[in-house]
Amino acid sequence: MAEPKRLTIVLAPWCPHCEPLSVTEGNRLARRLKIPLRLLDIDHAAQEKEADRLVRRYGDSAPDYLIPQVFLEWSDGRVQHLLTGFSEEVPRTARAWADLLRSAWLRTLIRGASG
Amino acid sequence: MRRTGVVPPLLRRALAPRTPHCHRHCDRPQRGHNLRALAPGWLCVYACPGGAVSVITYSEWSNADPTARLLPFVRAHTTPATLVRRRDLRLARRHGPELGAEAERYLARVHPPRAVSTVYWRLYPFKKKDGTVFRLFVCFRHGTERVQFFVAPGNIMSPPCPKCRVRTR
Repeated sequence: MAEPKRLTIVLAPWCPHCEPLSVTEGNRLARRLKIPLRLLDIDHAAQEKEADRLVRRYGDSAPDYLIPQVFLEWSDGRVQHLLTGFSEEVPRTARAWADLLRSAWLRTLIRGASG
Repeated sequence: MRRTGVVPPLLRRALAPRTPHCHRHCDRPQRGHNLRALAPGWLCVYACPGGAVSVITYSEWSNADPTARLLPFVRAHTTPATLVRRRDLRLARRHGPELGAEAERYLARVHPPRAVSTVYWRLYPFKKKDGTVFRLFVCFRHGTERVQFFVAPGNIMSPPCPKCRVRTR
């Protein structure tokens, strides 16, 4: 049965939805899932290529796409898009992280991993 | 279940920000103005009482990208239309777990899974050659669709609309 393998956040350090908010909450989610967290900085040439690939293939793609975008990679090779920042305002993105961390989806996932 | 595209009130509530504020203009609270001009989804313009727009959102309860529906609409209602660039429209899909317990349960009942897809149009303030900073404003007094977007100097609280010459408030 497939298991969560890695959490990846596509971000930029200047983005208030990304740092510190999404890095802090992403660390929290990764700890709860007992998986590593990978940060891909779109301003870092080497990381940008992989960030673009993830977003174009699995995420919310646009010519100048939104950040942060959060992906869960599974042991069977699947990549699941979990969250994209809310362009309306930073507190709305914070609420999305809080809801994700207390979601039924996450509880079920953790129960499955420990059961 | 609703037909594809229509965003039910429960999901609208889950998507909406609670404390939108006008930044770098007046710092007053913004209101989400719901417009019926674009079917089948939910079109919302976040603007302060002076008409300064922070973002325009168009959402459909569908996995399909609704950008192709929003782009011609905003181009048709913006003076000048060249202000609307494809690269300023950005997609975000909401799956359920990030929308709170009620919306998560609601979306989980649908098979195959269907996300809510939102397109944002945000025009960031920009400087003209003389150094004046311009930003996007909205006037709601036009025809059945009752919306006109235009740019004006960002230091003006309620600039007059170029079409009707009436101040936004």
